[in-house]
Amino acid sequence: MTTTVVIPTLETERLILRALRLDDFEPLAAFYAGPRARFIGGPMTRQQAWTKFQSFLGMWALRGYGMFALEERATGSLVGRAGLQWHEQTPEPEMAWSLLDGFEGRGYAAEAAVAARDHAFEAHGIDAPISLIDAANAPSLALARRLGCVREAGDFTYADGHVVQVWRHPARATAAA
Amino acid sequence: MTFRLEIPTLETQRLRLRAPRPDDFETFATFFAAPRTEYIGGPKNRSDSWWELAGTLGMWAFRGFGMWMVEEKATGAVIGRVGPWAPDGWPEPEIGWSLFEGREGRGYATEAALEARDWAYRTAGWTTAISLIAPQNAASKAVATRLGCAPEGRFVHPEEGWEAEIWRHPSAAELSA
Repeated sequence: MTTTVVIPTLETERLILRALRLDDFEPLAAFYAGPRARFIGGPMTRQQAWTKFQSFLGMWALRGYGMFALEERATGSLVGRAGLQWHEQTPEPEMAWSLLDGFEGRGYAAEAAVAARDHAFEAHGIDAPISLIDAANAPSLALARRLGCVREAGDFTYADGHVVQVWRHPARATAAA
Repeated sequence: MTFRLEIPTLETQRLRLRAPRPDDFETFATFFAAPRTEYIGGPKNRSDSWWELAGTLGMWAFRGFGMWMVEEKATGAVIGRVGPWAPDGWPEPEIGWSLFEGREGRGYATEAALEARDWAYRTAGWTTAISLIAPQNAASKAVATRLGCAPEGRFVHPEEGWEAEIWRHPSAAELSA
């Protein structure tokens, strides 16, 4: 008897969304150690980043969906991670994204988020997920607006006291209209 | 292209070792909330316990081995966690074991760890194994002794500074001789 976990690969114009691999850890740990990670629970130690890294993969087993590694097709570089996650404490599944340092400003997060959001609906029937965003994270707030998200009333507070805004993605019918 | 991960289920006389599942979470979180988890990185709040459970699964993807949840065959109750473990920064892969509150004293940790070590040697191809044990954790040292391990020095985590005794298991060659 075995437990089987399957993680699909998605492709967009410029990106490959695939399962995280061991060799993604160094660039991700570097990102999580840096100041830009302050909006998503960092900066964190390598050990904390490892726990996070492992759990991104484990989410697929627990929920059937999870975070993709974002690979730049032209170069094979890891540029970030994006996907759906549902941590036990958050109210519902959440669409999340982060770009590694130096890969911002090219529309990669939007491209990945749209692909991951489409996949979440088609494969898992998850429509209009939320995104949880720190009020000071201007680039992510701008992206949420570009993705058609609308801020909901009431913020969400993590167990460690970190407060984030709740942004609702458009429902499928609305997005198609 | 898809990533596919398979986690085996093992059986001993009284126990089943299987992949963690979402419905293990309450038991797992209760265990990690208790002070006695100080020897293995706890206590943890619910949120961190969730990452830990997901991370337990994720190691299987990155390393090709990882820890199982231990189920009592007679009752189906989840009574602990056991298996190979090698987070970033570890000196070498270890065999880890924990029994949940109230499950101690029946030889379950030894029974589960023996099975896990056999699997590491026979299936994962390890030739040797260690276990990292907090110096004050007398119960775990007793299990290590029953497993034929011998202490061989100390490990100080390079980033977090905690100290553990290194207990060396009999090698694969010694056991098969």
